[in-house]
Amino acid sequence: MTMVRVENVTLRAGTTTLVNAVSLDVAAGTWCTIIGPNGAGKTSLVAAVAGLRSPASGAVSIDGQRLEDLNERRRARLVAYVPQHPEIPAGMSVEEYVALGRLAFHGVLRAPSARDRQVVAGVMNRLELGNFRQRDATSLSGGERQRMVLARALAQASKVVVLDEPITGLDVRHQMDILEMLKKEVTECALTVIATLHDLTLAGLFADRLVLLHRGEVLLDAGAHDVLRSSELERSYGTTLRVVIVDGHDVVVPVLGGRRGRPMPL
Amino acid sequence: MAGASPPSSRRVLLVAGATLVALVAAVLCGLAIGPTSIGATRIAGDAISHLGIGHSTLSPLQSTIIWQLRAPRMVLGLLAGAMLAVAGGTYQGVFRNPLADPYLLGVAAGAGLGATLAIVDIASAVAVPAWTPLLAFVGAMVAVTLTWLVGGRSLRSTPATLVLAGVAVSALFTSAQTFLQQQSSTQSIARVYIWLLGSLATASWHSVLVVVPYVLICSVVCMMAGRALDVMSVGDDEARSLGLSVRTVRLVLVVASSLGTAAIVSVVGLIGFVGIIVPHIVRLLVGTSYRRILPLSVVFGAGFLVLADTVARTVMAPSELPLGVVTAVIGAPVFVGILSVRRRSAS
Repeated sequence: MTMVRVENVTLRAGTTTLVNAVSLDVAAGTWCTIIGPNGAGKTSLVAAVAGLRSPASGAVSIDGQRLEDLNERRRARLVAYVPQHPEIPAGMSVEEYVALGRLAFHGVLRAPSARDRQVVAGVMNRLELGNFRQRDATSLSGGERQRMVLARALAQASKVVVLDEPITGLDVRHQMDILEMLKKEVTECALTVIATLHDLTLAGLFADRLVLLHRGEVLLDAGAHDVLRSSELERSYGTTLRVVIVDGHDVVVPVLGGRRGRPMPL
Repeated sequence: MAGASPPSSRRVLLVAGATLVALVAAVLCGLAIGPTSIGATRIAGDAISHLGIGHSTLSPLQSTIIWQLRAPRMVLGLLAGAMLAVAGGTYQGVFRNPLADPYLLGVAAGAGLGATLAIVDIASAVAVPAWTPLLAFVGAMVAVTLTWLVGGRSLRSTPATLVLAGVAVSALFTSAQTFLQQQSSTQSIARVYIWLLGSLATASWHSVLVVVPYVLICSVVCMMAGRALDVMSVGDDEARSLGLSVRTVRLVLVVASSLGTAAIVSVVGLIGFVGIIVPHIVRLLVGTSYRRILPLSVVFGAGFLVLADTVARTVMAPSELPLGVVTAVIGAPVFVGILSVRRRSAS
């Protein structure tokens, strides 16, 4: 069943076209990662999937509902969003921050219900944040902070979570923590994930499917095995890449002194 | 950077209790202190005697001084302080800018131009004409509406666009006001100036009745917005992704706090600093959540302005200091103090 449908979406900033006529169907309970060089339009595309950017043409639907026809509150119950640089307000406890994810349920004039608090506590336990409840949200380390932002998104209990570079700036162990926790939600709770990632190895390791975006257009859309070995990937990034297999998993390594041509024109 | 940790609910209750006690003390000071000194207990006895319990020890003259002169002035001070403080706190949340208050979007410049129009219009009149508040109110609302039309309507406009539009509109209105003053007589310039500095001296039960509906509705709307403003502290995009209609909330809050402030300003003139220092002091005491800041700012602002007015009308009696001067004289050092406390807690 299709959970996220991106139909012919074009995004513009002024006269510049950032994303050009992109179409994607993402099935429920799967993980789709969007890769591509800097400036390919990844961030704009996922912002549109989260309903935060209106397409110049085309439409995004989630669970059969066009995002443009919905108000913010109904949208928030369908799709949660983890931005690349989340803003952590001062003076808010970790628990209060995670509870922001329940806003679409209790509304802006009411306090969180018992059910809301129960969901927040459950998510915090799942993401091992139980000991941080009363800590100031700005006092957490990078890895803890990212877990807290993910907890806020999961507290929304939406069918889809959109993440923009969720592991930037984290060490390798915390990168794995975040992605493994997310994978568990996909397999156990049938969550649908759309993420952008720069690390091609991790992209291949966790996603059911990779979409290579190049200058605002979809260049490749296939399983990780095929995308990581394609010549389009090398040409899009403009550098030579090798795939080596370690413990049965693809590891993408750049080749020192390899061809570093100009990125491929479309 | 480690922020201040969230305050315990016991501390919040303690601060709320202390603020309420201070408010009652300010009210009694406002009634008791003046050229005719009347004890607070006798005033309380008189108030209770109106309910049919016991009997008053006040003379008819003293009773008139209390209930027709000091009481309306004190009540207007409560309303003005509450409204200016809660509107300032709301603006700071809406624009995520610690220096924002409704004056920023043109309320002050608009009211100033309206009042100037009313006062310089009749060169011979001695007093400030009766329609000054009305013109000041219209001026303030025209200025804010103009700011919104210029800076707030485009689909992707940011708070910064709106603030810049407010600066431009304010500059335009202020220059028109300066031009009018330059064309008018010296006496009328003096009257405009005195009006601009703000005063509660002309307070009456009538002026209280005029502003009460605005202050009640607008301050209640602002106080209900605490949760929305807390959500908006994560930024516009994230707040929208959490289900908040950021544009609607911003529009409602800008209208409510500007309308309430315009009503107050049109009656008491431009009293500065309350909207900025009161929410900052409250924030220092109970943390950054607007659910706590806004209701406490109402109470704190009300008490603060009544005390400031008591100072304004007594330190140089029988003449009065402009209230705007007193709030600034108290406000500026307090503000410097807040900054140094913050700097210390940050390092």
